[in-house]
Amino acid sequence: MGAVAPTTAVPSTVAPPVPAPLALAPPAPLRRPRVLLVGSALAAGASSLTILSLLAIWLGVRADLVARGQPTLPEGITIELTPGTMNMGTMIMSAVTAAWVVYSLRNDDRPHAYLALFLTLLLGVAFIVQTAYLYQLTGLVIAESPQAVLIYAATGAHVAMTVGGLLFLAVMGFHALGGQLTGRSAEAMSAATLYWWATVAVYAVLWYGIYITK
Amino acid sequence: MTVTESAPITEAARGQAPSPPLDVEPAGLAGILGSGDHKVIGRLWIVASLFHLVLAGVAGGALSLERIDTARFGSVISGEWLAQVFTFHSVSGVFLFLLPLTVGLATLIVPLQIGASTLAFPRAAAAAFWAHLVGGALVVGAYAIDGGPFGTDAGGVGLFIAALGLVVAALIVAWLCIATTVATLRAPGVTMTRVPLFTWSNLVAAGVWLLTLPVLGAVLVVMYLDHTYGGEPGTVFLGGGATVYDRAAWVFTQPAVYALAIPVLGFVGSVVPVLSGTRHRLHKVAMGAIGAYGALSLGMWAMPGFDAAGGLERPWLYDGPWIAMSFLVLLPVLVLVGLWLDTARSGRPAPASPLLYGAAAVLMLLAGLFAGAVQAIEPLEVIDGDVPLFNTTMTTAVAHYVVLAATIALLGAVVFWSAKITGRALAEGIQRAVAALLLVGTVMLAFPDVISGILGQASGLGGSITGRNVEAIEALNALSAAGGVLLILTAALWMVALLAGSVSGERPGDDPWQGHTLEWATSSPPPVGNFAGLPEVTSEAPLYDARHREEAST
Repeated sequence: MGAVAPTTAVPSTVAPPVPAPLALAPPAPLRRPRVLLVGSALAAGASSLTILSLLAIWLGVRADLVARGQPTLPEGITIELTPGTMNMGTMIMSAVTAAWVVYSLRNDDRPHAYLALFLTLLLGVAFIVQTAYLYQLTGLVIAESPQAVLIYAATGAHVAMTVGGLLFLAVMGFHALGGQLTGRSAEAMSAATLYWWATVAVYAVLWYGIYITK
Repeated sequence: MTVTESAPITEAARGQAPSPPLDVEPAGLAGILGSGDHKVIGRLWIVASLFHLVLAGVAGGALSLERIDTARFGSVISGEWLAQVFTFHSVSGVFLFLLPLTVGLATLIVPLQIGASTLAFPRAAAAAFWAHLVGGALVVGAYAIDGGPFGTDAGGVGLFIAALGLVVAALIVAWLCIATTVATLRAPGVTMTRVPLFTWSNLVAAGVWLLTLPVLGAVLVVMYLDHTYGGEPGTVFLGGGATVYDRAAWVFTQPAVYALAIPVLGFVGSVVPVLSGTRHRLHKVAMGAIGAYGALSLGMWAMPGFDAAGGLERPWLYDGPWIAMSFLVLLPVLVLVGLWLDTARSGRPAPASPLLYGAAAVLMLLAGLFAGAVQAIEPLEVIDGDVPLFNTTMTTAVAHYVVLAATIALLGAVVFWSAKITGRALAEGIQRAVAALLLVGTVMLAFPDVISGILGQASGLGGSITGRNVEAIEALNALSAAGGVLLILTAALWMVALLAGSVSGERPGDDPWQGHTLEWATSSPPPVGNFAGLPEVTSEAPLYDARHREEAST
């Protein structure tokens, strides 16, 4: 090693390391508070940032169209407000039922936890179906305008985030059904709920940025 | 995740007599493909990134040679491939080499430094590596079939955008695992203000990249949809594949490019106190400075704007925030340099190779930041015209200085932690020579570009050289090319030394450098689970404390 002499000396307060073949003993027990919650928060942040960036790109192009005196949507295209608002209501309800899942689990009220989880998943699926209906109703064709490219990019990415959130909720639901999540360890469902709330919050921004302002 | 991350319950833990050890970690290919051990995953990241370093280096060398007077010496790259090689050099250099190498080192070293037995979400981390590997292969494959940003094969261009999106997504997941590890898996006593500077720098880098890469991912989503579905080829609405490089190139320019060098600060902050045999001066101030540097290298706002006609406006250029960040980013680095000099002064610095790597990296980073500040001064223009300095080869030089500073630091980090990475020590004499050659090569590559930028040479694919300074610029380009070749040869020497050291290097013991932090409290290489026991942690340098307590008691 040259100037710094290699040494194997280990301070006496440090337990001597175990050779690799015998090193299967567990390490010192570590508390692992909120690993899944923190990871989910970061994942929710990254997903949200991606979709909000897509929305920002659309708003930039929209502002440019307004500055040029051109319509913000292609000719003959209208985005009805009602389906988008219905979607917003659906998502708000699902946010409440998701919180209900966590509340029920923390109180070891499993029947209500299952009911709330079922309702959350149902509302999530309803949101996706309603979005598909909204696409059909609007009639935007992606190959015909940059507006369509950007609106489909932002809302489509949000649908992907919704699917991810539903899968996360469903997997944690299976954990709950298997008895692994109890009042003392509802963190996993809290993490899934956090991600779901982020999904709802991002939709609120999309709802205003795309469906209301058009 | 909650089930699979639980530590294995052994006979010893149950209070029974231990049975002969089971080979729970599969050996061979299964041990590589199926491993969730952060050390295996970290090594995989490092090896894959070094493979891409070869590709990026060869492309960079060819570009350097191409800039020499081609009329006199002939052309290395045919015209239609020039843009492809240029973009491949940038894309592979950053997304397939530098960021993966950073992630690999962080994946391997960070859990050890904070006393954790594992990485958070180890299977997600493994999936991120394999996804990145596939994405990287597809990026290279897309170029091979004439895809890439300026390719003529529309399918290949679409493949390139999608593959780069996969690479970006994998990097997001990898950084997410690292950030979660630092946030939640620290050993008892390792408070957030006591984490080692290398770990802290990676947490800062994770924060910056988790704010940056999703924005790039969004741009790639739009470009993919626009390219694939948006209108007819050639008349795509937002520019399609032809503009994807311009829309992604903000990552390679200031301020975003500075984020690549965040681990430089953590690495130097780790080696200076260890090789000086003393405690780091004002550890918390150093943490603040690294955090400030990270905040000032946030650059996603400085990307070309979108408009309905597919334009690429940059309204931020020479605007207040851009100028301010270009200058302010120098301050935290200067603060850190002052702290390191004070730390070295209060100890006995040993001129070991990691310190030389660190010194070279900091010098090059400072050069890059200084050049970046100079080109942010709006009245300054090139000598032969009223063209601003930005987008001349001075911009290229800034990127080269910063990227190579990060490269030097990361290669030095592999040397410093080689005992933990490979279980072997690398030959010290060769490493000192490599550190010196990397410094010389970087200066030779980048400094001529600073001068030729001032003389008016456009960056990238800016066309032929004109004006009064043609001969001077051509001479500078030749010098820069020589620097590029020297860097390639030095990198090759480093790889050979790493390979030789990994196979036949001496076994250095657990703590060859008399380290201060927890990674040196375990064996080399560390076992499964990392630690059999941990010392008491009451400061940012627990082993230094333990060593001094022992000396005081004897």
